[in-house]
Amino acid sequence: MIHYVALLLYISALTLWVRSFLEGGRGRMAPVAFGIAAAGVAAHTVALARFTMLHGELPLVGLAPSLSTLALVIGVGLLATIGLGEVRRVGIVLIPLVILMEGLAVVIGVQPAEGALDFQGAWFAFHVTLAFAGFGGMAVAFSAAVLYLLQFSTLKAKRLGLAFRFLPPLATLDRLGRIGLVAGLITLTLGLALGWAWTVRFRHSFEQTDPKVIWGILTWVVFVVALAVRGRGSQHERRGALATVVGFAVVVVSYVLLRLATSTGGFFL
Amino acid sequence: MTLAVVGVSHHTAPVEARERFAFGNAEAIRALGGLREEAGVREAVLVSTCNRTELYFHPAADPAALEAGVAVLRNKAEGVEGSADRYLYQKQGLDSVRHLYAVSAGLDSMVLGEAEIQGQVKDAYELAMRVPVQPSMAGPVLNRLFQTALSVGGRVRSETTIGQGAASVASVAVELAGKIFGSLKSRRALILGAGANAELVAEALTRHGVRGILVANRTHERAVDMAERLEGAAIPYDDVPSRLEEVDILVTSTAAPHAVLSLEAVRGALPQARGRTLLIMDLAIPRDVEPVIGSEPNVFLYNVDDLREIVDDTLDRRKAVLPVAERIIEDEVEAFRRWYAGRQVVPLICSLRDRWDGVRDEELQWLWQRLGHLSPDDREMVERFSERLLGKLLHEPTVRLREGVANGRVADFVDAVRYLHDLDPPGLDLAKDEDEDPAEPEPESLTESDET
Repeated sequence: MIHYVALLLYISALTLWVRSFLEGGRGRMAPVAFGIAAAGVAAHTVALARFTMLHGELPLVGLAPSLSTLALVIGVGLLATIGLGEVRRVGIVLIPLVILMEGLAVVIGVQPAEGALDFQGAWFAFHVTLAFAGFGGMAVAFSAAVLYLLQFSTLKAKRLGLAFRFLPPLATLDRLGRIGLVAGLITLTLGLALGWAWTVRFRHSFEQTDPKVIWGILTWVVFVVALAVRGRGSQHERRGALATVVGFAVVVVSYVLLRLATSTGGFFL
Repeated sequence: MTLAVVGVSHHTAPVEARERFAFGNAEAIRALGGLREEAGVREAVLVSTCNRTELYFHPAADPAALEAGVAVLRNKAEGVEGSADRYLYQKQGLDSVRHLYAVSAGLDSMVLGEAEIQGQVKDAYELAMRVPVQPSMAGPVLNRLFQTALSVGGRVRSETTIGQGAASVASVAVELAGKIFGSLKSRRALILGAGANAELVAEALTRHGVRGILVANRTHERAVDMAERLEGAAIPYDDVPSRLEEVDILVTSTAAPHAVLSLEAVRGALPQARGRTLLIMDLAIPRDVEPVIGSEPNVFLYNVDDLREIVDDTLDRRKAVLPVAERIIEDEVEAFRRWYAGRQVVPLICSLRDRWDGVRDEELQWLWQRLGHLSPDDREMVERFSERLLGKLLHEPTVRLREGVANGRVADFVDAVRYLHDLDPPGLDLAKDEDEDPAEPEPESLTESDET
């Protein structure tokens, strides 16, 4: 039930953001949208906390709980822009991602996985949370990159319409994208390192063909490439934005392909 | 309604005539003070900007007062080519209210929807309050008029898109730079060609934080002059290609008959590998910058037609919302009319209150003779009770009276009230305005607990 409330709040926030876009960002619509999204994140947090109390485990294992947690992490990423004025408008791209993942989780049913993982406990919780935080950083960078490319094409085409007015400045979006990538790379690296260290210590082996490992490393490589393309300072902003969008698509598509190609027994991957 | 405005604006006079009508603050204070002393005008406010000089005054029913208002402007513009009167316009009653509301909302401005006028209206109103006369030149009617004009301006701007977008080349330049670079504080600009348009853009950029502007011109002295005005630095004209890499914004407006900035020069200054962003605004005709430069990945090139098109788009969008803005103004004019009409019954309300206050006093005297044992505290309590009871009894009739008068039923209501309450003298001088505007009697609850 609380998941539905969160979903409804997210959808309401998106509706207001779209209206704000159609009004060229004028008025109080965008801040209200952000406030409603924040309420959605709060409801979402309550829903997952309730899951933890009911089932005695963190919502990190099954597909639906994992998707819901990932959606929450992205929502929290959006909240991190609270003091950044116009930057908060990345919500217009981030919130659809959150709605998609939370919607999928609700459709599948946010229930614990039937099987049990041998990798459990605090190590596991840190590993997944850090990895998800990394993905959240990428989602923020992706949103900023999409808006950057939109604003860039608006400026190049000299069409100073609704998008021009609604979207934040190019330099601001570039900075946000860079921060998202750097923060995401750091947390993902820590998450992967934790997973690797646990496997080596307790299993004395490292399964390189495990879909999770493949996807994790691919995501890490995407981060590194997207950052490398940007170069230092304000160089190659547009190329960096393009690389981020393509990289994000690669990560999502590879996840779907790996999931279709492997039997995951109801786990995230 | 005995309210009027007499004035001159960009609609009726060219700049060389308007500047003759313009008042400095000290002159305005003297002129307003003179209106009170010499013509007995009770309230007046003088709005003087580069595009308009307007005198609002009240009451203006007396032709002498109107003539005195006209004379203030006529005398100021003494010596203007032709007669000053041919530039002047007058509006009376609700037309003057409608006019000020439109002025404050920017609907009467040279650049439709510009916001600066609202601050100027506010300044004019505050200036009138500084005129050393008692009571203030911004009395109850003009106080209400200007306060509502400011709120109408705010309402029009918040409820419509009349103020949105950049409506001049300079403001477009700032808006573009802002959307590319975010804060302009750490950005640098190069002005190539010391033309007036380029200087306007440079000034606007400076106001928004751009520092250390570089200026280059074929005639170096002109570059030096402009650089001094902009607190920047002049550089030799031939150094432009090599200094391009230092700047984020380039504004060109030379009189050269051909392009002065080639693709090679820009590529040389901004090697693609460095990926630096450059905003170029080419204000020259013929163009100073080869159009192909706009195809460079990190170069945003706008020529003068692009910028004008943006300005025209903005103005078209603003014109499209004019009907909405005008509806808001009509609503507010009607609200002002109702308020003003309500003022006509002020003398009647005062009589009504005095009449029943007298009755209350008589009845209290009667009561004190019979209840001589009451303590002072008890007496005070009874007195307060009588005041509150009277307030409550008179509140609703007073409100209804004001409403009825606002709805145009003045004579019926006034006669009925006078007859029912036995008020003298019969009839009401509707032309009379009262500076004292009594509020409706307090409708305090008689049942609420109160401190004793």
